[in-house]
Amino acid sequence: MAMATAPSRAEVLSLLRSFLQAARKFSDYNIREYAARRAIDGFRGNKALSDPSAIAAAFADGMSQLEVAKRQAAVYSSYAPKTKSVMEVKMSPPERYD
Amino acid sequence: MASALRGAILGHVRVPIRTLDRSRSLSCLQTSIRSMSSHGDDHLTREEVVDRVLDVVKSFPKVDPAKVTPDVHFQADLGLDSLDNVEIVMALEEEFKLEIPDKEADQIISCPLAIEYIAAHPMAS
Repeated sequence: MAMATAPSRAEVLSLLRSFLQAARKFSDYNIREYAARRAIDGFRGNKALSDPSAIAAAFADGMSQLEVAKRQAAVYSSYAPKTKSVMEVKMSPPERYD
Repeated sequence: MASALRGAILGHVRVPIRTLDRSRSLSCLQTSIRSMSSHGDDHLTREEVVDRVLDVVKSFPKVDPAKVTPDVHFQADLGLDSLDNVEIVMALEEEFKLEIPDKEADQIISCPLAIEYIAAHPMAS
């Protein structure tokens, strides 16, 4: 099996940006936050990798997960519920009664 | 987005003021044409850009707000790494409703660069 070439630093950062942009497209608050959080945690967890084939494998895994995220964002938006999560409601500070 | 378009259109509309005195009408036209734009309202002031950029950086969980000034470098002064840099640029995109292309996003690595970029961006709001 041919040895995959390790991605450059710029490619890795570009992949993270793509993940965060894909995460934004989710209509559901929970999935959106999870996707962004999981992407960042995943990249940070692999930060210390030094073996080029391990880096290439992690990058390839990231690419396939990115495809999953994009597909799922499209599917979720087809069935988006009409009510938004309470976390997305913009609250003004409560009035004081003194 | 719509307000930027409105501002661009208003900036091009001119209303000539007609005078009854035909002998002097040409010079009157030239001095009386007013632009209808209230331009300057739609664009962010530099101070607003600075304040909002600093707010975004200060609210990043790994950053010590006391260290944030308009000239800090994200990695050198605030101890962040390149992954954090990507996150901060994304947060700035959301704050100012911009889409920053990868090549330019890679270069936004300090507060002064972020402020320059956003202040110069026509679509920032």
